[in-house]
Amino acid sequence: MRNIFLSGAANPVVGRAILPAAAFQAAHRVKAGGSILGLLLVAHAALAQQVVTPTPDQAGSPRGTNTGDYNVTDSFETGYRFAVVNGSVGTYRSDVNYGTGIRLLSGNLSVNSRDGHGRWFDQIVLTTIGLGNDPYQSVTLRVEKNKLYRYDMLWRLDDYFNPGLPVAGGQHLMDTTRHMQDHNLTLLPQSKIQFHLGYSRNTQDGPALSTVQLCFDGNIYCGTAGNEFPVFENVRREQNEFRLGADVDLAGFKLTLLHSWVFFKDDSGYQESGLESGDNPSTGVTLSQFQRAEPYHGASPYWLANLNKSGKSLAVNGRVTYVDGKGNFILDENAFGGTPLGAQNQQVQVGGDASRPSLTGDLSISVFPTARLTLVNNTSIDSTRIDGTSDYAQFNLATQTADFISFRYLGMRTIANATDLHYRLKDWLSFYGGYRYSERRIEDIEDYAIPSPLTGAMYEQENHLQAGLLGIRIKPLKAMTINLESEIGRANQPFTPVSDRNYIALGGRFEYRVKKLTLGALYKENYNNNSVTLSSYSSHARTYSANAAWTPRDWFTLDASYSKLHLDSLSGIVFFAGPEAASPLTSNQIYISNIHAANLVTRFVVAKRVDLYVGYTITDDTGDGRNTAAPAGATDPTTLIFAPVQTFPLSYQAPLARVSIRLREKLRWNAGWQYYNYHEQFGLESFYQGYHANTGYTSVTWAF
Amino acid sequence: MSRWLLLVCACVPLIAADDYVGSAACKTCHADVWFNFYKNPHYKSIASGDQPPDRTGCEGCHGPGKAHVEAHGGKTTIPRAFSLMQPKAVLDTCLTCHASNFSKSNIRRSQHSLADVVCTNCHSIHKSPAPQFLLARKQTELCYGCHADVRAQFSMPFKHRVNEGFMACTDCHNPHGTFAPTWGMADRPRLVDRAEGNEQACLKCHADKRGPFAYEHPPVRVEGCGVCHMPHGSTNAKLLVRPVVFTLCLRCHNGADSFGTRNNGIPALSNTHNMLDPRYQRCTLCHVRIHGSNSDGYFFR
Repeated sequence: MRNIFLSGAANPVVGRAILPAAAFQAAHRVKAGGSILGLLLVAHAALAQQVVTPTPDQAGSPRGTNTGDYNVTDSFETGYRFAVVNGSVGTYRSDVNYGTGIRLLSGNLSVNSRDGHGRWFDQIVLTTIGLGNDPYQSVTLRVEKNKLYRYDMLWRLDDYFNPGLPVAGGQHLMDTTRHMQDHNLTLLPQSKIQFHLGYSRNTQDGPALSTVQLCFDGNIYCGTAGNEFPVFENVRREQNEFRLGADVDLAGFKLTLLHSWVFFKDDSGYQESGLESGDNPSTGVTLSQFQRAEPYHGASPYWLANLNKSGKSLAVNGRVTYVDGKGNFILDENAFGGTPLGAQNQQVQVGGDASRPSLTGDLSISVFPTARLTLVNNTSIDSTRIDGTSDYAQFNLATQTADFISFRYLGMRTIANATDLHYRLKDWLSFYGGYRYSERRIEDIEDYAIPSPLTGAMYEQENHLQAGLLGIRIKPLKAMTINLESEIGRANQPFTPVSDRNYIALGGRFEYRVKKLTLGALYKENYNNNSVTLSSYSSHARTYSANAAWTPRDWFTLDASYSKLHLDSLSGIVFFAGPEAASPLTSNQIYISNIHAANLVTRFVVAKRVDLYVGYTITDDTGDGRNTAAPAGATDPTTLIFAPVQTFPLSYQAPLARVSIRLREKLRWNAGWQYYNYHEQFGLESFYQGYHANTGYTSVTWAF
Repeated sequence: MSRWLLLVCACVPLIAADDYVGSAACKTCHADVWFNFYKNPHYKSIASGDQPPDRTGCEGCHGPGKAHVEAHGGKTTIPRAFSLMQPKAVLDTCLTCHASNFSKSNIRRSQHSLADVVCTNCHSIHKSPAPQFLLARKQTELCYGCHADVRAQFSMPFKHRVNEGFMACTDCHNPHGTFAPTWGMADRPRLVDRAEGNEQACLKCHADKRGPFAYEHPPVRVEGCGVCHMPHGSTNAKLLVRPVVFTLCLRCHNGADSFGTRNNGIPALSNTHNMLDPRYQRCTLCHVRIHGSNSDGYFFR
């Protein structure tokens, strides 16, 4: 049978159609054009790249080289990176964080079986970014053998630095490293019964700075007698997840089952030694030694079951998920310090547990009565209950003791139904509409009043939200698409003053796409009005953007985009001004952000050997147009606090340039430069975080 | 060349229905497509050799090719020429095989499908430059192509590291549609994926915010992280929606109306909080465990 087939004569149509000479010529046309196509695709893919590395241009032939029964494509880039920073190094590390040193900037390897019958594998795809010492590193790997297995791995590293100026006046700082890895193995990936095994690990380690409030007066909460002290935190967090699942394809139904075991632990510790006077030295409270251990170990095992049936006129999907979240914790804190009354020590011990069972179900029914009409209805139910006990004990100088057990119960149950309709009236005109109804019930039992009568007061609230959607899609030309959409929603009891209550969302998109040119435009407007007695919250967000990509020649491409992101909001606020003020003040807090963001990139290829890439990115928040943080001549202390934070004008620019020269078929030399300039017009709380940085690299890209 | 011919012939289905001509016939004229097709995930259907003609090779997607061959080409003679097909027809064709994939459970109701953004808008079956998933372009560039406003957000000073290659859009989003979110209401936000089956995508990485905590900060669970953070990018540190933290907190903590868990307004600040004092403008200086605490209802430790 196979021999007949090999001859090609068994199929008369095939026999008649095969013209070896024509096929040979066609194949050679492909070879000639393949590289160009590859270059174009790579160039297009990399066009909007907004960081200078890695160099997108690959070494070697995009078609790869044949080795035995496999085809191999590879390209690796190694180089030296530098960064010179002036100004706020902390903000630079928070925004950019590229450093100096030798890196494996990128790596790409693909090995493909040419007949799909490799002995151990049919495909290996490996990609790397930033290995060595870059702040952002990743490795992806896929190894696959047809019919037998498929293995996917993702490993990532993120160096995180944040000085936390706006949240704690610079007293909170994080310099941590997060490692993440995911492994997924599918056995029998093309069969009707597939098995899935997975493992994920997520760790976060590193030093941090935090704060603690103390008063040594025997009260649980200090009030104005409190003083805040910096403490060192050693962050040690780890999560491990193990997954086991299966897909069963039977009688047209697809059943997916997954069980996962998730274990999390946080063993971060806090300590401080040395005399600290704190943020509120007028209290006379000092801290000389502090130590806190706070191990938290939790687990969130979950089950997932999904059943799917797809047919020509009907599709049904049902899913159930159950998560049984649990956490056990203990806290042991010792503080030594002083007050005007003399030396003090304080010990706090807390122990308890928390649980969060959560059940979610979905049923989605899709009906296709005609080729032009699609109707989908989805019902979902979610029930989550969070409960816990926390046994708190505070000892002060072994004479004053405060003890209580408190807890909080938070339960949420949401039932939502959504119906969507899509109808194609003409080939160039279609409509869609939808209706959503959601009902959410929240129950809360809380008890942490001071002193601590265990009243266990229970509260309930229900929110009903109805929303309607309407959209239209017009395609007047094959290359042109216009989308218009709108949504209007009404909620009767939103959870927070900033939640959706009476909202309208409008949107429009335009796209014109031909072979060498793409033009796009976008308009979005979201308006939410949540005004109630004593509080008038409204927000109005408008987004306009336009983009263009143009490739008039193989050697020249241009990509540009502009976005205007505008937000203005008004919040009713209540606050106290003055020590132990008798009555609160009410006011409106305005916030206006008016961001203009643009991106421009060009790429030239000179003599098919040299790639030049020039780009420019800018984010400019013009704020509300004012020239000074506070109104000129303002002396009212409240105005001086609130006015400067109504807007936050700044600019952030990042021009870049890169050259990549093909020295040989399998060797390229690259060099690039990127400049960062961050400037805050008014600063923030008297901090000015501006910086400018020159970063760059030189590298070689090679293929084996 | 002959080796290729032998290989191709070997892969043609053994039994072809009357109108099916087999992939080898297609290769004759479409050598450019065939040349690298062994790298294509769809090649598995050919390599397996056990698929019926309507589920393998070129005709598995494009339909039986006899008429096309007999007419010596022409797009209109291809039963399923994707560039001529309406979006729903494209979706139906791809879902013939891919419908039962769990990640596509909600594709019929996804915002993309409703807007007629279907498979071939993002996937290039024959000329994909991406190493995986047959994407028409590198993933971020693909998404930025339509979502220029999101691209602007990822170019802001504070952002998740998508442009840097550490993350991808699909770490948080499922472009094929998602189940209704368990936070927020009215199916919003859309196309945001789940962590652990039914939690916010943020918790996939930020596991320390997952809890459960004895004292949850309720809006984190009820409304989601987006109530305080802008997940793509922001001009404010920590991706906050406001440049300083006290303006963020005061938006909700005003005691007004029936908001909050107590049904009588979210508690306003006590009179010990003198906002003229910079200490009280830095709320998280004391309320350090603002996402949730196990030992303190006011998130002090």
